[in-house]
Amino acid sequence: MSLSRRHMLRVGALGTSLSLSSFLRLNAAQGKSDSGRSAILVFLGGGPSHQDTFDLKPRAPAEYRGQFSPIRTSVPGIEICEHMPKLARRADKYATIRGITHSLADHGLGTRYLMTGNLPTPVVTYPMYGSIVSRELPAAEDLPSFVSIDRPVEGPGYLGAEYGPLSTGEKPRYGQPFRVRGITLDGSLTIDKYRSRRQLRDDIDTAFDGFESLDDSVRGLDRFSEQAYRIISSTKSRNAFDLSLEPDREVDRFGRHEFGQSAMLATRLIEAGVRFVTVLLEGWDTHQDNFNTLGRQLLPDFDQSFSAMLDRLEERGHLDSTSILVTGEFGRTPKVNGNAGRDHWARAMCALMAGGSVRPGQVVGRTDDRAEGPDGDGFSPDDLAATFLQNIGVDPKTEYEANIGRPITVIRDGSPIPGVIG
Amino acid sequence: MAELRFLMIGLTGVVGITLVPVPADAQTTPPASLRFAVSGSTETPDFQKHVVPLLGRLGCNGRSCHGSFQGRGELRMSLFGYDFRMDHQALTARAASADGGRINRQQPDDSLILQKPTLHVDHEGGQRFAVDSWPHHLLRRWIESGADGIAEPQVLSHLEVEPAEVVLDSRSPPVRLQVTAVWQDDQREDVTPLCRFRTNDDSVAIVDADGMITSVGPGDTHVVVFYDNGVAAVPVLRRLESAPGSVDDSPPVSAPPAATSPAAPDIDSLVLAKLHKLGIVPSGICTDAEFLRRLSIDLTGSLPVPSEVEAFLADSSDDKRQRKVDELLERPAFAAWWANKLCDFTGCNPRQQAELGQETSVQWYMWIYRRLRENVPYDELVRRIVLATGREDGQTYDEYAARVSAYFREGSGVDFADRETMPHYWTRRSMEKPEDAAQAFAHNFLGIRLQCAQCHKHPFAPWTQDDFQQFSRLFETVKFGVHPESVDRYRELAKQVGLTLRGNDGAAIRNDLLKRAERGQTIPWRELYLSHRSEPVSLSLLRSGTVTLTGDDDPRAPIMQWMSDSKNPYFARAFVNRVWAGYFHVGIIDPPDDLNPANPPGNPALLDWLATGFVQHGYDMKWLHRRIVTSDTWQRSWIPNETNRDDRHNFSRAIPRRLPAEIVYDGVKQALAASDSLDEVRTDLTRRAIGHLSMRLAGTHAMQVFGKPDRVVNCDCERDNQPTLLQSVFLQNDPLIDQRLEQSGWLQEIETQEKSAAAPAPKHLVRLAWLRTVSRPPTASESARAMQHLSTADSMTDGLRDLLWALINTKEFVLIK
Repeated sequence: MSLSRRHMLRVGALGTSLSLSSFLRLNAAQGKSDSGRSAILVFLGGGPSHQDTFDLKPRAPAEYRGQFSPIRTSVPGIEICEHMPKLARRADKYATIRGITHSLADHGLGTRYLMTGNLPTPVVTYPMYGSIVSRELPAAEDLPSFVSIDRPVEGPGYLGAEYGPLSTGEKPRYGQPFRVRGITLDGSLTIDKYRSRRQLRDDIDTAFDGFESLDDSVRGLDRFSEQAYRIISSTKSRNAFDLSLEPDREVDRFGRHEFGQSAMLATRLIEAGVRFVTVLLEGWDTHQDNFNTLGRQLLPDFDQSFSAMLDRLEERGHLDSTSILVTGEFGRTPKVNGNAGRDHWARAMCALMAGGSVRPGQVVGRTDDRAEGPDGDGFSPDDLAATFLQNIGVDPKTEYEANIGRPITVIRDGSPIPGVIG
Repeated sequence: MAELRFLMIGLTGVVGITLVPVPADAQTTPPASLRFAVSGSTETPDFQKHVVPLLGRLGCNGRSCHGSFQGRGELRMSLFGYDFRMDHQALTARAASADGGRINRQQPDDSLILQKPTLHVDHEGGQRFAVDSWPHHLLRRWIESGADGIAEPQVLSHLEVEPAEVVLDSRSPPVRLQVTAVWQDDQREDVTPLCRFRTNDDSVAIVDADGMITSVGPGDTHVVVFYDNGVAAVPVLRRLESAPGSVDDSPPVSAPPAATSPAAPDIDSLVLAKLHKLGIVPSGICTDAEFLRRLSIDLTGSLPVPSEVEAFLADSSDDKRQRKVDELLERPAFAAWWANKLCDFTGCNPRQQAELGQETSVQWYMWIYRRLRENVPYDELVRRIVLATGREDGQTYDEYAARVSAYFREGSGVDFADRETMPHYWTRRSMEKPEDAAQAFAHNFLGIRLQCAQCHKHPFAPWTQDDFQQFSRLFETVKFGVHPESVDRYRELAKQVGLTLRGNDGAAIRNDLLKRAERGQTIPWRELYLSHRSEPVSLSLLRSGTVTLTGDDDPRAPIMQWMSDSKNPYFARAFVNRVWAGYFHVGIIDPPDDLNPANPPGNPALLDWLATGFVQHGYDMKWLHRRIVTSDTWQRSWIPNETNRDDRHNFSRAIPRRLPAEIVYDGVKQALAASDSLDEVRTDLTRRAIGHLSMRLAGTHAMQVFGKPDRVVNCDCERDNQPTLLQSVFLQNDPLIDQRLEQSGWLQEIETQEKSAAAPAPKHLVRLAWLRTVSRPPTASESARAMQHLSTADSMTDGLRDLLWALINTKEFVLIK
């Protein structure tokens, strides 16, 4: 493929066309050495209660501190909720960021804010981190670079559809066959049949013979068609999504529950070479019955699966190259309500980071005595985003020629939180 | 009644190049580089005219330096200048560092603004000028003479640039531009050394900081000049001198046939005139099959059916293309497809509606569809959106609420599409803030991007923050909610249907309440209305006049009056350019929604001709479409010759374009439909993605993958027609494609025939497969290859299924060539 300098320059001068970047990305995918960096985002949808998980306030009045007690962890001085004993033993593997604060206590807006690192506005859609990563770090030829297990958390925004995730459309469930929209061949189309169709298509797709490299659209179609074929027919991507290849002990380690299977899939995908994976664990919107919901289901599931994810990435040598962020869209009200629940609260929340260059075994930032707000200025979601991107190796001050008529900085207002990465 | 005084300005702004002869007695001040060449000048430099432009040219107020919103090194200046008060304060304020003041009037040489750029003190930005250079003298002299700011900005009348056009060849020595600033008080100064210069395509020409233009390669572009708030673009052109030596993979191309189509000589002659200047020979005219597919897609968003292709190819009359155009313009699908495009341009989006996103966006689409069916003139259509109100013709609130409720009742006999005006444009949540409304409005109807001017002076266009703020304020009385005079009635209705209210702003209608309306009850609807202005206000309308508003004046009326004036530089141009961009891979101005003096049209005569003709023909949209598709220019082949391979914006050949999302969706469905339902699948708009389903399908997987725009931001580029990986995955292996192939009516019909041993000859079926998908018969070798596949397949049906899969996955299917 030769992209004429002349054309490159023209696209560069106009600045708004995505075609150039897409071709550069393809070029890069073919030749450039693999930097091996990747990331997992665990989204705790609904807004997990910060003071019942990683920011407990045992000395606050009863109506604030709730029903859970803290336990010690492997790091002296750090305590977390009693329902996460496995993560307590692994406190030296991740960093906790407390005192993150914003003002959008609405699920939609809060999610958009936390998943893009930019305050939502009606006139721009910002890209999700995975889209930025998939633009900056190309994946292998026969693998998608950005996968969302279940549904996309947020879209590619101004970066355009090309950088959107390949979403699996559903969560893997233990004991049930798992199929990803479009990416794996199912019963009705065998690999032989697919190859034969493909051969037929190649033989009759001759209208542009002799002019394949002339126009963007023709060239792009050839490239993507070939890549799609490789992904669909490759055992690599099929295997990456095939959870039946995991031995029972791995299944048990991650947990046979829904989140366990998603976390296991995320880990497999990273091992195969996918750049960015989002995993959803929902149900944190505990306006009622907060303590039973968390204590009996969400926290034990999360404790087991997230611990397994950290262990496995470390065992197989992927933790140093994989940046992990765990966050929801906001925290929950400091005071327990009449239904033993907690409501939306954006003034304080917390997040976990691990892998890559994160300095594990520490708590950064703090909240006040009742976990109502940060002690001091706290950190913004923008800062959290900048930290995450920097850990992945993407400069949060990267500028794009966005589709909004002016250049735009990836993370406009945030800067990396000091001390998290080292 | 709002008072409006017009001042029509050219597309290049108040400050474009003028061709007005210079009065003989006009004295032009020589350039600052001469006046300050040696130290000791007694002239006092002017802050606006000299100091700020000099700092701009040196890059000081750029985005990555002191123009950044956080500033740099504690010094923050206004981005791209033009906030003289802020910049003066910043420069004269005391620096916090221990290195002394930024300005030291007593000891000018100790001033940081001289010490840093000359690197006498560390400067992250490096050396900007040398000691004893003219910039050094100028700034030093400004400090020495008191470092004064300005009270009120002086008004720049325009920039004169010499030469007005630069024509180069490979042997041309560099050409130097000379720029004269002409101020409103007739002061003239050679400001060449104080300008910033930019080339729009550095593969054609480069320009250095002093305005020296050097030819790089053949083609055409513009060099853009910036000074104060003036912008001027100079066309730079280099003719293709001879056929390039190595033409690697193109077959020999014979000379293109002379233009044969007699229609629309104007578009063609204007395009050819430009091509002639560039030494480019256009490609020939496309084949009949290419023409029919292209026309059918571009005009009606549909693939032609096989019988139509066969009939068209068999027709040997000379005027068959012309007649086909006439026929297609009258099809409902023409209105349907272009209603999609007008929904793109106006921002119809289920997720931004104030309530009932799906229902209201469908109403919006259907309202526009109806107007296109009636061929309502474009200015009239826009007027009925711009001046929309909730109530019509003196309705009381109760009548209004009853009417809107009735739109949702089956058999009520009233239809939203019958409404005179279409209020949903204004009632979107994204129009709540006047600033957002101003940006959307300017983009939707004028093709102007004002976003930059919200925070700083627009870097390319003449718009300043003040222009933006005044324009925004025009929209502040356009309200959606409960009219203060109807609050009581609204509350009563709300009470009757059990709608809980907080405050007097009313509440959104949700699905449970809508059900009551569907059953015949009147429910409380909020409405679009104008709030009362207690104080009269005079606001500038994008520097094209002053609008004085008082009381209940509709601010939109003077804007509409200004837009529909035949001399308006944006309104008609923006539209014809967008329509043009729908037929080609680029606009005449490109991006098509960015009309600004630094982004001039590649062929100004062509754009003017189209815009003028459009206005003269009463904004008749069909006139415009007809003119374009009957031109040779639109009918050119995509196959290049030696001279036009690299031409991307002078329309010397067709550039293959990907099918839009809706057309891919409908096209696959149609290609696989049963023989006897082919026509119905195409004409039944209630079941088509370009038709009534347009808004219902918005946001679905297929639409997202193929780039149907969400219409969230103000950018035409939201409709993404680039190929992507996911599109290829979709066409090769998506469950939807699989299902369509498995359930294909055509294949089922063949299967039945095959079982009763009455199947048509395979060769005939192969031919039909080609006609159904790529709208042409197969070549002999294509047919042979397909026949070979059929002979090895388990059954003919099975083999044909493979063939259809393969055809849908060819480049030819998904491209318009």
